[in-house]
Amino acid sequence: MADTKLITFKIRRYDPDKDTTPHWEEHKLNVPDGMTVLEALHEIKAEQAPTLAWRSSCRMGVCGSCGMFVNDLPMLACQTQVLHLGTDVVTVAPLPNYENVKDLVPNLEPLIEKHAAIKPFIIHTNSKEIEEPTGEFIQSVEQRDEYSQFTFCIKCGLCLAACPTVATDPLFLGPQALAQAYRYTVDSRDCGLKERLVAIDAFHGPYQCHMAGACSQACPKGVDPAFGIQLLKRTLVLDSIGFGKKESHVSKVMPLADVVAQIEEFAPPPRTVTK
Amino acid sequence: MRETRFWTWHLLAIPVILVLLGLHFAVQHYAPVFYGVSVEEARSFEAMIARGKDMTQFVLYILLLVAGLYHGLYGLRGIIRELPLSAALARAVDWGVFMVGVVIFLLGAYVTWWTFSF
Repeated sequence: MADTKLITFKIRRYDPDKDTTPHWEEHKLNVPDGMTVLEALHEIKAEQAPTLAWRSSCRMGVCGSCGMFVNDLPMLACQTQVLHLGTDVVTVAPLPNYENVKDLVPNLEPLIEKHAAIKPFIIHTNSKEIEEPTGEFIQSVEQRDEYSQFTFCIKCGLCLAACPTVATDPLFLGPQALAQAYRYTVDSRDCGLKERLVAIDAFHGPYQCHMAGACSQACPKGVDPAFGIQLLKRTLVLDSIGFGKKESHVSKVMPLADVVAQIEEFAPPPRTVTK
Repeated sequence: MRETRFWTWHLLAIPVILVLLGLHFAVQHYAPVFYGVSVEEARSFEAMIARGKDMTQFVLYILLLVAGLYHGLYGLRGIIRELPLSAALARAVDWGVFMVGVVIFLLGAYVTWWTFSF
């Protein structure tokens, strides 16, 4: 059996049906090398605290469900190895800056509402083509590189939990929504800035960012939303003085037949594995 | 483009303040260095009035007043509006800060005009 270390987990518990305020509960667990906080929680739930609640799904840092406040920092429980934290006592609490639903479950509704407010989809002038596509809007590698890193966002909400501005101003759109506003606005296929202005060109928009950079530090996917906010500011200022993108840079549609032909041209050779 | 414009003006006010405040310091507080006259001489009532009657000085001081007031009050509004305020209270803060700006501007402009026309 692999070497283990006895770790004390201080878990913040809160049941709205029973408790008036949250309280801390301690659980000891022998943690082997490689065990994640999420796996530890599963073990604690199975053996010591059957009513413990949290939210998780994929266990591989893709779904963004298991955001928690581990040792006072927002992290994905499935991506955080307990022994890598380097402490004998590990505190686990729900993400701050969100309402606490139960135990380690935060209410992520504000995150989703703010995300939806910035219209996170391609808005193209050729709405007929969007509704009934006859082909594909082709984008160069350089055009894609402009927003590429922001597409890695998994909407886990860690950035909002880390944001000091959200802590004092709950109406602040926050790093997730603002970085996504930039991601779509700068997309060469998009021309929807005007429609997004209602949400982003407001007091609680990008100008409220304190530039603490905590969001970029917290992001488990390496996205830099703080940088995205600064880029969004530049985009908005340029647009306000008449140097903004007037329409989508991609107006030509490549017919589907050509797209298929191009894919076939670069397709790998057929498999030749035999028994 | 409302908030973007407010914020852009806020940033543009910075170089204006730096240049005009620099000029003010050079003329008033560093006169021995730049003009070879004593500080007492540069800050005497006669010297103040003489400068105040100059059209360029008059325009630059009004400009400094506008830039300083706008930059400062926009920042103050930002700090106050970060508090959890209701929509009505937030609007009241916006108008309140605007009115304070207008009153201080009128006062400053009056003093500058009084000196200009002394």
